[in-house]
Amino acid sequence: MSTQKLKEIINKVLPDVEAVIAWQEGFDKLNVTPIFITSPEQVDKVVWNAACAQNLASYLPSQKKKVAVVVKGCDSRTIVQYMQEGLIDRNNVIIIGMPCKGIISKKKVQKAINNEPVEEITFTDDSIKVKTPSGEKTLAIKDVCPSKCATCQYPTPIISDQLAADAIQSDKPAGAVYADVAELEGKTLEERWAYFAKEFDKCIRCYACRNACPMCVCQDSCIAETRDPHWITQRLTFDEKLMFHMIHSLHLAGRCVECGECERVCPMEIPVAKLKKKINKEMKELFDYTPGVNPEDKPPMFVFNVDEAKIKEHKL
Amino acid sequence: MADKGYLPKEKIKEFVEALGKDAAVYAPSLEGDTIIFRQYTPDKEIALDRPANTPPKGAIYPQCETLLNFEFKKDQATPEKMDIELKTNLDFPKAFVFGGRPCDARGFTVIDRVFINPEASDPYYQKRRENTTIITKCCNGPYAGCFCVGVGGGPASKEGSDVVMTEVDGGYYMEAVTDKGKAVMSLPMVQDGASYEAKAKEANEKATAMVRNPFPADSVDKVSPELFDSADFWDKVIAKCVSCGACTFLCPTCYCFNITDELAIMTGERIRTWDSCMFQHFTLETSGHNPRPIKNKRFRNRVGHKFYYYPEKYENAIACTGCGRCIRYCPVSVDISEIVGYLKDPKADPAQWAAEKKDAKN
Amino acid sequence: MTGNHNPYLPELATVIKVIDETPNIKSFQVVFNDAEKMKNFTFEPGQVGQLSVFGVGESTFVINSPPTRMDYLQFSVMKAGEVTTALHGIYEGDIIGVRAPLGNWFPYDFMKGKNILFIGGGIGLAPLRTLILYMLDNRADYKDITIIYGSRTPPDLCYKDELKEWEERSDVNLILTVDNEFPGWDKRTGFVPTVLREEAPKPDNTIAITCGPPIMIKFVLEGLADLKFPDENIITTLEARMKCGIGLCGRCNLGHKYICKDGPVFSLKQLKELPSDE
Repeated sequence: MSTQKLKEIINKVLPDVEAVIAWQEGFDKLNVTPIFITSPEQVDKVVWNAACAQNLASYLPSQKKKVAVVVKGCDSRTIVQYMQEGLIDRNNVIIIGMPCKGIISKKKVQKAINNEPVEEITFTDDSIKVKTPSGEKTLAIKDVCPSKCATCQYPTPIISDQLAADAIQSDKPAGAVYADVAELEGKTLEERWAYFAKEFDKCIRCYACRNACPMCVCQDSCIAETRDPHWITQRLTFDEKLMFHMIHSLHLAGRCVECGECERVCPMEIPVAKLKKKINKEMKELFDYTPGVNPEDKPPMFVFNVDEAKIKEHKL
Repeated sequence: MADKGYLPKEKIKEFVEALGKDAAVYAPSLEGDTIIFRQYTPDKEIALDRPANTPPKGAIYPQCETLLNFEFKKDQATPEKMDIELKTNLDFPKAFVFGGRPCDARGFTVIDRVFINPEASDPYYQKRRENTTIITKCCNGPYAGCFCVGVGGGPASKEGSDVVMTEVDGGYYMEAVTDKGKAVMSLPMVQDGASYEAKAKEANEKATAMVRNPFPADSVDKVSPELFDSADFWDKVIAKCVSCGACTFLCPTCYCFNITDELAIMTGERIRTWDSCMFQHFTLETSGHNPRPIKNKRFRNRVGHKFYYYPEKYENAIACTGCGRCIRYCPVSVDISEIVGYLKDPKADPAQWAAEKKDAKN
Repeated sequence: MTGNHNPYLPELATVIKVIDETPNIKSFQVVFNDAEKMKNFTFEPGQVGQLSVFGVGESTFVINSPPTRMDYLQFSVMKAGEVTTALHGIYEGDIIGVRAPLGNWFPYDFMKGKNILFIGGGIGLAPLRTLILYMLDNRADYKDITIIYGSRTPPDLCYKDELKEWEERSDVNLILTVDNEFPGWDKRTGFVPTVLREEAPKPDNTIAITCGPPIMIKFVLEGLADLKFPDENIITTLEARMKCGIGLCGRCNLGHKYICKDGPVFSLKQLKELPSDE
């Protein structure tokens, strides 16, 4: 059982690190929460199931000492991107890879059970059985997974020191990754503007998306809040909110590893990842570059070539 | 004016529109899968079956409001002199908050103690508060994360509401709590409700029994000062926090704010917007000194404010109503009730949380 | 109280004089545009005001003129950030906003009949100045007055004209110092906490009031403890990032006390009873 193997691996690496970052049960069965394990007694609390949504790799840049971290395939892209950008020291991390067939979207599950409190959940390979005060319901994971899982290209961590389960091959077509972006691209400018105006109208500028983003480096110097330079006001109008989201997305151009955390954590259920995926799609077409896949790569916005292969500039 | 009424479900829209004839009505509005408190317009769909993602706090305490407008004025005769004119607007219409939960209504009572006081009241909040009638829907049961009974509330609590409604028999039993509430009950679509009272009471008791109290019976009233001051404790419980602000912005009792000036050459305004004690720069001084530079300190202050400092100042009233939103929506599922549970444990011991030395083990 | 019933509404005031105290500190003397309000204005030494530069923001400064001299209100501003830089661009005749008086004040009644020891550094002399002048205007109420004041360099000393006056007075003992030797400076050198220890004032029937950079206060408090000053006889004024100034916005708190409303004046005894963020 993969949890058993995972716990064995954690026990083995624990003496060599300051902490092992993994998941444990949260406030109810539907929620898990990160645990920073520092002693063997805590290892038994570790869980691995389809509720393990949080991207634990995002804690790495702030760790001062050597740690071990459990990552899914999508999370491992964060580590690869950190390595490309020099945001972590590879020697200071032990990566425990957890191949994954898909996680559940808490919001989709809650909708399916009408937001009742969850008393019990049983996880199988491809489904969850949820018990609420009004009864039991079985949901197929593919019906309640976030969109990133439906198009997952990296079910097995790209980089790891040990795998806690057998590697899994992707069975999802690569072309599907940007299908949702293409759908929006097919709409007129007015339609797209109206779409985002409606969605961002809900935004409360809580910055959960920004702080959960593993690649956001501005963090506390964010333009959303600085007075010098004074980019935007604190008002909650569409233009102000759009400015924040656009700049955040542009800062992620060619860096967003599509971990989906931004969308998962938005309390207002705004599809914030769409802007970032659109920019990623453009970057892929321009530079043939996919973020977080090869540690030897350099993000295109970090490099300058006088002659870019796909950018037709005037002849010098 | 009766103070016991019954409103059939199919009359809800009519009721809300009647309220809205000469007032603004804030009701939970379904947008996609999200329920948000919005100013009601007939095109909106009112959703009462589960708590809204956002509390109705913004109806009385808007997330952004103008404190004053200023205008720079020049006189051609004396071009070197610039005059300034200030304007304030405290003209707020009558309003209703419809369909919040008891935890939301109690949230307003927490803010009332701070914003309405003899020394310096916030006139903007006070005026809106006076003009607003709160009609609360009691809960049929708990939702993920809820713990209102642990902080002096309950799914049928009347505190802070003008009218409370309980779901019975295809409609809502309504009870007026204040004179303001009584006025609402006299609307034509509200029928006599006395015959539903017993059933509503039963439903309320059933719901109350279902809500979890995260603090065991032997937990102490005050938080343990030793554990509260233990850096090791806070390091451990808050290592996973990402220091966003979702918890504070979705909280019915959080009221911290920022004041910023915005200038448009010759005119401008001073606006007040919600701020968050979780933000790194909340207490950052111009000199660069920051009393709460790390999230450990900020979270300690947040928990301290709600469960330690505020009760000390306001006769043990707790600045948390147990609505559970911070737990539900936290990106990493930080559970404030769990953390406060540790602090109220009679056996609370800082030594248990002291950082372990690796070589001391095995 | 300015602003009528709306505590957020500043009173418009005109700057009647700007004084260059040091390379980065200016003092502003202001008078309310509403003459009636100016006439009826009262405050206690130690209270503060929020100065508005409309379009930029507000910042908190102690009213460092005493209530016994009410021709104007004086504020001293060190250029540091957005608002203070904007203030340094204000000239005589310009209009700013004032929300005052805010906060608590020095317990001067408690200090009557006692010896007073002022220990200040740099711009920390500003809040002390209001109390010093108030005491000098009520000289008979207080016994010995000693002022230990220092800054990094002689140009950084504030209120240079007043320092001269105080030096010449026989009923005030002024001890000036600068951190290090400086050309043209023939007086004492040494950090303020060091000078405090050298002077070794007796704690008997003496109240110590200190204000200055946090690092100076830290060492001054250690010195006063070593000199056996009891905590309730040590007074200081605190600073914090402030916005509302009336204890509502939630940011300047130490436990349940707000520095803007329950302070900025605190005794060391009171501070030790509050949960600290340190």
